Amino acid sequence: MGCLGCGRQQTNNQLCHDCYRWQQKGKKLLNHTALYQYNDAMRQFMQQYKFNGDYDLRVIFNCVLSQKINILNADIIVPIPVSDHTMVTRGFNQTTGLIEGIQYEQLLKVSAGQKSHQSQFNRKIRMMRKQPFMLIEQVSLEGKEILLVDDVYTTGNTLYHAADLLYECGAKNVKSISLSR
Amino acid sequence: MKSYYGRQLVHAKANKVPENIISSAAFIGNVCQRCGQNVHGKLPNDHFYCRACLALGRVSSLDVLLSFPEPNHFDGNDILSWNGQLTQQQKVVSDELLETLSRQREHLVWAVTGAGKTEMLFPVIHQALSQQYRIAIVSPRVDVILELTPRLQQAFSQTDKVVLHGAQTEEYRYTPLVLATTHQMLRFKSAFDLLIVDEVDSFPYAGDQMLAHAVKNARKINSAVIYLSATPTKTLQQQVKRQSLTTSYLPLRFHQHLLPVLKTAIVGPWRKKLPLKFLRQIKQFSQTKRRFLIFVPKVSDLVSVYQNIKKDFPDMFGDHVYAGDPKRQEKVQNMRDQMIQYLVTTTILERGVTFPGIDVLILGADEKIFSENALVQIAGRVGRNKDRPTGLVKAYIQHTNFKVMAAQRQIRQMNKRGRRLGGRV
Repeated sequence: MGCLGCGRQQTNNQLCHDCYRWQQKGKKLLNHTALYQYNDAMRQFMQQYKFNGDYDLRVIFNCVLSQKINILNADIIVPIPVSDHTMVTRGFNQTTGLIEGIQYEQLLKVSAGQKSHQSQFNRKIRMMRKQPFMLIEQVSLEGKEILLVDDVYTTGNTLYHAADLLYECGAKNVKSISLSR
Repeated sequence: MKSYYGRQLVHAKANKVPENIISSAAFIGNVCQRCGQNVHGKLPNDHFYCRACLALGRVSSLDVLLSFPEPNHFDGNDILSWNGQLTQQQKVVSDELLETLSRQREHLVWAVTGAGKTEMLFPVIHQALSQQYRIAIVSPRVDVILELTPRLQQAFSQTDKVVLHGAQTEEYRYTPLVLATTHQMLRFKSAFDLLIVDEVDSFPYAGDQMLAHAVKNARKINSAVIYLSATPTKTLQQQVKRQSLTTSYLPLRFHQHLLPVLKTAIVGPWRKKLPLKFLRQIKQFSQTKRRFLIFVPKVSDLVSVYQNIKKDFPDMFGDHVYAGDPKRQEKVQNMRDQMIQYLVTTTILERGVTFPGIDVLILGADEKIFSENALVQIAGRVGRNKDRPTGLVKAYIQHTNFKVMAAQRQIRQMNKRGRRLGGRV
């Protein structure tokens, strides 16, 4: 049993309160797919992979995640970007690492001045955050099915902001997937 | 600023370097300048990171190392608040350590288990502190450090000290005295005037190039290093023979009693059914209320052995523990506090721990995990107390075994030398 909008584990098949809120705000739901629950083991994996920067660990979930992405059969795969600062400190984008080998298009970038990592904020601050992304260049996504990819889905804030930009470019439908939720 | 004294810290090139702090390359010729190894993980855009010392936080080609030369900003007014007495033999060793400090040499203390190594260190530590030296006491094993800490706290109660290891919660502070696992030395650079490595023969230090590099890097060019071991590795023994390392030898325990000998009993396949001889021994323990440790070869043996004993002796409280046990420290503390009568354990408790008045049983002592030195160390858990200087060490084996015999011989040899110093059973 899980939420229809984001796959969160719960006792009924209705929308969870996060998804309900996104719907109330007038967003089209992402119909999110998450491969795993964000439990202690996943937290440790993320700690080691992302924050301790052990890029070699990207291969662990590469196969299962790639398979799932292929099944979802989107026209364009768009990974969530990391900031320039992260690129020169961490040295990699954890999401593109996870889906290495898959054809994707880096349509988005993090707007200048967005330095801080989401994970250091609590839920409330995260929900209030303004659009953190911008398009690298204006493209037309007319009639396209887009699949957004992120490493962890927490509030949906990141993905819904990204989806807004893609809909503005004319995307027909935007779905999303993450390694964990 | 103080937090950089004698340290070697990783810092992203993209971030600003604090004023007056020295920044140096993280890699020279592909070799990690923190750990001296050349094992890389790849990053995008031709960058890379060091896999060898990754556990202490990543060093990558996107980073620099920050340091500041150790200024020894200490007052040197430290007091030795220990008022015990060293035995005559301990005094000899202790004086040799003072000489080690003044000559800034490398020295090995080869002393049997329970010789009172820690106490012998007090005078040299005190001397070093009063010279405003910075001192690190390190061990490959965190248990050893955790056991040493309260004893040093007692002996140097006025001296500020910090304890550093992987699971520590205490924040780093600049202190004259540092207690740490050997891995933590990777975060220091030319910091220590006196560096003491306890249980130098134990895993993972023995034979590990990275940890040897860490220790070398953390000491000052002019500094003293003291290695402590009851069972030195072949490499260390060779160094002693070549005289590149001076040695103090102490074959007698502080209470002047000989080491308990390792006894053996041949048993059947104990994994299928616990041997009668073994159970009879446990029965005796349950009647005499004697506290004891049971060593088993594998983590997977713990639960079944423990459950079987519990079934037969439901009134006797015990527990089982292994390295990755989340409640490891709590369980060991329960044993120390005499809350439980016995612990079934893997080799993690082979050294560095003292439970007064215990006996020891070893199931499957002939299996590979129990090396000669491990068995000597395990036997050394017994008879460490003045009030009960002897005790039972029994190895249950399925076949006669060279390694067990070698351990017995090693103990006999030390006892022979100990007897010459006046040791008695």
